[in-house]
Amino acid sequence: MATGAALITFDKVWKSYGQGEAKVHALAGVDLGIRRGEFVAIMGPSGSGKSTAMNIIGCLDTPTAGTYSFMGVDAGRLDRNRRAMLRNLYVGFVFQGYNLLARTTAAENVELPLIYRGVAARERRDLAMQALAEVGLVGREHHTPAELSGGQQQRVAIARAIVTRPTLLVADEPTGNLDTARTHEIMELLTRLNKELGLTIAMVTHEADVAGYAERTIRFLDGHVASDTVVLETA
Amino acid sequence: MIWETIRLSLRSIRRNVLRSFLTLLGIVIGVAAVIAMLTIGSGTTQKVKADISKLGSNLLVVRAGRPAGPGAPGGLDQAVRPLAEKDLAALVAHLTGARAISPASQKQVRVIFGTESLTSGVTGTDSAYLDARDWKLVSGRPFSDSETRSGTGVCLIGETVRQQFFGAGDPEGEIIRVNRTSCKIIGLLEPKGYTGFGQDQDNVVLMPLHAYQRRIAGNRDIDNIYIAADDRTPTSELQPRVEDILRDIRRITPDRESDFGIRDMTQIADAMASATTTMTGMLGAVAGVSLLVGGIGIMNIMLVSVTERTREIGIRLAIGAHEKHILIQFLVEATVLSLLGGIIGILIGLALAGLASATLTIPFAPSPAVILLAVGFSALIGMVFGFFPALRGARLDPIDALRHE
Repeated sequence: MATGAALITFDKVWKSYGQGEAKVHALAGVDLGIRRGEFVAIMGPSGSGKSTAMNIIGCLDTPTAGTYSFMGVDAGRLDRNRRAMLRNLYVGFVFQGYNLLARTTAAENVELPLIYRGVAARERRDLAMQALAEVGLVGREHHTPAELSGGQQQRVAIARAIVTRPTLLVADEPTGNLDTARTHEIMELLTRLNKELGLTIAMVTHEADVAGYAERTIRFLDGHVASDTVVLETA
Repeated sequence: MIWETIRLSLRSIRRNVLRSFLTLLGIVIGVAAVIAMLTIGSGTTQKVKADISKLGSNLLVVRAGRPAGPGAPGGLDQAVRPLAEKDLAALVAHLTGARAISPASQKQVRVIFGTESLTSGVTGTDSAYLDARDWKLVSGRPFSDSETRSGTGVCLIGETVRQQFFGAGDPEGEIIRVNRTSCKIIGLLEPKGYTGFGQDQDNVVLMPLHAYQRRIAGNRDIDNIYIAADDRTPTSELQPRVEDILRDIRRITPDRESDFGIRDMTQIADAMASATTTMTGMLGAVAGVSLLVGGIGIMNIMLVSVTERTREIGIRLAIGAHEKHILIQFLVEATVLSLLGGIIGILIGLALAGLASATLTIPFAPSPAVILLAVGFSALIGMVFGFFPALRGARLDPIDALRHE
């Protein structure tokens, strides 16, 4: 699938913690762009700034200096609640530890972002069922996370992320807790969502073969982008 | 949305049943105490009012002796001229606005029938007494005027006396012995039960005043004169007239104080009722303090809950919850929790009050206003004490919250 217009733009983005001598720059003037429909893997050792970059991409965090624009909006200057709205409308999150609500059924977990959107109960239920079907979890709607395997839990998390039809999916080591077989299933699912729905995906990973599912790999090192490689699609 | 939030809070309360219950306990005890106190209190007030009106509303009672202090209803000093029959005669002759005027002298005396005996309140009086006290006969007849005059050995008995001697049987015509003198039962008084002070109003024997004076008291004194006002005359108007007549007949010069006291039962009823109301209010306020303690318990547990669920808050914030959503979620949870405690407390409080009114034989008088107030107040406690923990949850940074283990 061809990539479209710019979705995310980092313009000399700095993120610093601490003060004076102890000041640490997690991001030191990063320039970066991601287009709509891209599937990007973000790699780098711990402390390289990749997590900070992901938090800013997902509108969870704001830069100390520089501009972060998301869908043409200067998201770095928005207040908490506006960023919450932006996340609710355009961003889906998938985490390494699934982060599902315990003792809450798969369907209810998937419905959660719709509640904050003010969608009516009936419609919520329908959309949640549809999203669960898309990730291949028909028949598991009323299971709680404790009754599901790791792979299934991550599918629920993905269903929760896509139920709002977001523009961007932010995935933080989505296969970090899974075995090889489950990893490939999840990655195939993400690839399918990228191709079929045109969902832009930004994914942090340690593993080269997981990154191999992406079309583009960005490596961070010491708060800079060390390399940015586009893998040409092989038909 | 709000319905959703209430469901969510009920679920989270259910998840920690024991903890929620312990948290509730403070509110439950507080509300139960307040409700029980106020309900028992208003029952007591009703009972006191009813008792005193049983003594006879619109009733003045004259006794010999000066009041011991200003406004003191009781405590008359003893070494004074007793009331005599000429005082009674003067009142009967000159007092206007009275429905009934009757003398009464009383003593606790041993009453015997066959092998049974009972210590009873024996009153010497006349035929106007029943009217003055508003007492009725179940059977038989009152004293005739000639019996009153001559002091015949006849008597009316109360229900307790009948049960002691005759069980359910008919006492009329039987002869009982009262302090070594015998008297014939001519009537049975209607049962009146106990007073609020635990006095059995049915353990009584009435006999003609002259019979009492001659055979029991051994003097010609009258202890009390009961004066019932008629329907058009308030007791406050009647009282100075009684005083004038008695001062005149007892030849008390204007420079001296009266050597008798007049008690107005209506005033006593009002004073007692307002005293009980004040007591009730005070006990209620003391019980209210425990509600405050209950509120602090809620705050404590909500802080624990927010800390425990930091990750959940992180997830919710990440997927688009606003601060206000989190704030409302925890606020509703605290409110539902304390409201639940309030409702349980009301039920327990009412049960306690019901039990108390059954054992103390006072009316069960739950007040809808008090119950509504308790519901509102417990909800308010949840909101007030839940606010700080909820705000703390709402202000969490989603990144830190998600990282929280």
